[in-house]
Amino acid sequence: MKSFTHVIKDPLGLHARPAGMLVKAAAAYPCAVTIEAPTGKADAKRIMAVMRLAAKAGMEITVSCDGADEDAACAALKVFLEENL
Amino acid sequence: MGFFSKLFGKEKDAICAPVSGEAVPISQVSDPTFGEEVLGKGIAIRPTDGKVVAPCDATVDMMFETGHAVSLIADCGAEVLIHVGLDTVSLKGKHYTVHAKNGDKVKKGDLLMEFDYQAIAADGFDTITPVVICNSADYTTFETHVGKTVTAGEVVIELAK
Repeated sequence: MKSFTHVIKDPLGLHARPAGMLVKAAAAYPCAVTIEAPTGKADAKRIMAVMRLAAKAGMEITVSCDGADEDAACAALKVFLEENL
Repeated sequence: MGFFSKLFGKEKDAICAPVSGEAVPISQVSDPTFGEEVLGKGIAIRPTDGKVVAPCDATVDMMFETGHAVSLIADCGAEVLIHVGLDTVSLKGKHYTVHAKNGDKVKKGDLLMEFDYQAIAADGFDTITPVVICNSADYTTFETHVGKTVTAGEVVIELAK
């Protein structure tokens, strides 16, 4: 398993659009992807679960990837989060 | 299985319009997150009223504190997201009144939130309201009833696994 942390910079937090984009980015990789925020833990491939985190600006989230392509998934999601959240 | 479902094929779950207005295909939503079905398949409604009601019997999964969106887990299993207007997260709750909270059990037609659609439009926002089934990939039958004026409570999506 590989993981990394990211602090949310979007002042509006993890609302519907970025949540949808994040799920789409995670779904591109077969490995299991989970997100942990101070508000809870979610399967990054389930949009409802990601939205329920209600992660806000300033919160630190931990993204964990577990599977054969975990290195590629981690790298891609890190770039995605830096560019979008 | 009852007599009618035997007669008409498999039983379908109905998702109703959460708000009155013009029901249109989701592809008409300019925001690609919705229009390109990133969040799931669905429909959209151009509201002509300011009341959002439960589209079926459900549990409120996540009421955004800004009142601009709500997600529900339907008793039938569908995961429904109602997003009132586009980019309206940036209104930070202005023009919205929340009437339900996370975990509430709601019946079809129960009031979830109210919004001043004219004021939202006047502030420069598109009030089109996508109704998305986030787990639409789980269904083999996905029928929409759009291209017409609907009253809140009228069936707009029918689903079967």
